[in-house]
Amino acid sequence: MLFNSLSFIVFFVIVLALYYSKLFNWTGKKRMLLLASYVFYGLWNPPLVILLWISTMVDWTAGKKLATEENQRKRKLWLLLSMTVNLGFLGFFKYGDFLLENFVTLLNSIGIDFQAQPMDIILPMGISFYTFQTMSYTIDMYKRKTERAKTFLDFALYVTFFPQLVAGPIVRAKDLITQFYEEKKATTEQFIWGLFLLTIGLFQKVVMADTLLSETADTVFGSTKLLHGVDAWVGTIAFSGQIFFDFAGYSTCAIGIALMLGIILPDNFRYPYASLGFSDLWDRWHITLSSWLRDYLYIPLGGNRHGITRMYVALMLTMLLGGLWHGAAWTFMVWGGLHGAYLILEKLQKRYLPFKITAWNGVFLAFITFSCVNITWVFFRAREFSTA
Amino acid sequence: MQLKNALFIALIISIIGLISWESYWRSQGKTANLDDNKDLWAVQRAKVDKATEKGVILTGSSRVLFDIQLNEWELETGIRPIQLAAAGATPLPIFSDLVNNTNFNGTIIVGVTPPLFFSTTFPKADPWERAQSKVEHYYKRTYAQRFNHALSIPLQQNLALISTTEEIWSNNIDLKSLLNNIKIGNRMPEGMSPFYEFNDTALDRNTKMTERTVNDTAYANTIKRVWGFFGKTSPPPDKESTTNFFIKDAKKFIDRGGILILLRCPSTGGFRIGENMGMPREQFWDELVEKTKAHSYHFEDYNQFKNLELPEWSHLSPKDARFFTTELIKIMKADGALSNSKTQ
Repeated sequence: MLFNSLSFIVFFVIVLALYYSKLFNWTGKKRMLLLASYVFYGLWNPPLVILLWISTMVDWTAGKKLATEENQRKRKLWLLLSMTVNLGFLGFFKYGDFLLENFVTLLNSIGIDFQAQPMDIILPMGISFYTFQTMSYTIDMYKRKTERAKTFLDFALYVTFFPQLVAGPIVRAKDLITQFYEEKKATTEQFIWGLFLLTIGLFQKVVMADTLLSETADTVFGSTKLLHGVDAWVGTIAFSGQIFFDFAGYSTCAIGIALMLGIILPDNFRYPYASLGFSDLWDRWHITLSSWLRDYLYIPLGGNRHGITRMYVALMLTMLLGGLWHGAAWTFMVWGGLHGAYLILEKLQKRYLPFKITAWNGVFLAFITFSCVNITWVFFRAREFSTA
Repeated sequence: MQLKNALFIALIISIIGLISWESYWRSQGKTANLDDNKDLWAVQRAKVDKATEKGVILTGSSRVLFDIQLNEWELETGIRPIQLAAAGATPLPIFSDLVNNTNFNGTIIVGVTPPLFFSTTFPKADPWERAQSKVEHYYKRTYAQRFNHALSIPLQQNLALISTTEEIWSNNIDLKSLLNNIKIGNRMPEGMSPFYEFNDTALDRNTKMTERTVNDTAYANTIKRVWGFFGKTSPPPDKESTTNFFIKDAKKFIDRGGILILLRCPSTGGFRIGENMGMPREQFWDELVEKTKAHSYHFEDYNQFKNLELPEWSHLSPKDARFFTTELIKIMKADGALSNSKTQ
């Protein structure tokens, strides 16, 4: 189910009515929210709810063992199980066809004539988001950075909570599960703010992204002719607007919907196109994803603790994998690689050519950052390198 | 308190805005109308699985949609047909789906509009893709999409302001269409003349021509100009592959006991001239009939269909569509192609 659909309006009105009725106690309300979340997901493709259940069961069990087990080897194995299941799902459903395609290309390039039928695997909605979210739980449990969820219901709701299930924000266990422990009810102010955020998010998604900007971007990127530079830039800028309003709009909806239930979700976009440089950009763009990549990929890869070269390698790998997270295609890797290169160049500049940011050069810096981001969007949007 | 006031003001502005927008479009002649989209088609397609051998399915292009009136058909035969024709599309993918993916062995009427029927079997070509996308939507539609469609019906039936369509009509009033209608400069070459909506669709896809198209000659002429554009820009027909594709499925359907009826609905004026020049009857229709060995009805063969009214050359006015349906059934019954289940 999508937020910008009639069925969601009916669904949400029913959820709100049940949530604020006196029919249930807090546990009953959480059960109702969990059931509603499965309905929300299942209305798209009912059998794929099973993936959510498997992910929930595996990570709940792994979390339980990680909380009680003292043997470090066994703890590692439980973490490994959680990672294997989640990354296995992601690998099979999101990257199965991509891997097969590249395997065939590789064999053909070394002279082995091999053809494979595409597997045509259906991509479960939101799988990239909920697998990352549940993995953060088990990794944090392994590192003893978070407490184990008190009940299975709290954990299952954390994995499946419908406002952020399909498009984020990716919320950490300690930030969301703990909110389920005591009864939550939106204050009047929170409820109205939530409604405003939902409306603004829908406006961003439906009017700005899908109506005003998508066609220009589609026309330019779908063109089979060589375009005039101005047209190419117009299309690219339209896409940069479209993708921002699409992502940010959906996140804003999620934050608003949760707020109407009295649950606080973190900010996900904070004026990213006003960024002064690329470190700043990643502090503002898809914040919950970039902080996830920082904490669970960049830092474990060594971060800045093992010298400059290792840091650059870690940075580049993080951005390449971050690119691949967005979609199964080499163009996404190039997008990530460009961002990695920008971040490395920025770090070099800060080291060898430092300068103070003022109001005057700040405007120039913001413009340069935005222009460079637009170049990366060309690869993000283009399905083929020839289109880019 | 300020937030409450803001919410109250926002609600008032929204209500006033909606009422004003609805009133404006109604004053411009817009009426609430159902969108003949993939969802509406899929609801009818779902009925096929429950249809018996007495059932009747209509497929074809827009002429079958406009010219066969379901109420008259039901009145004459006691059976309400399932309307699966698709405007601007070849019937081949839909017929193929019915033959290969269902066990239906009742009656299928296939409308033959030569420029579409004989157009192509290339999956990416527009006439094919239009029909195939409906079939695919039927199989792939999610429960959420079904739910959305069901909820949208009362809104579509009562509000003119949301009367948007899957077709890119020039008089669509959704925001995207309104923006597209604003022409800035003349960088894009002028293509097709404005193409205005001229169908009035019911829940079971029974379709009538709008009153405006019947009564307003200038409006009907805008549609004639579009037919002229299509006539000049359409690729040549692909008789061999389309006929062969159809015959294979037709044989399979007839062999399993189904009754296949080919129907050539009326056309007139410039449209008819174009059809006769590009796809002469002897080389296209007659050959198809001969190879298919199905019951076949060509409007030219019947005196009662000589003076029908086709305001835009290709589809019958509602009055004549009712007449055409009633007379056609009489002919088919006399011919033994249709049984009269009312008397059985």
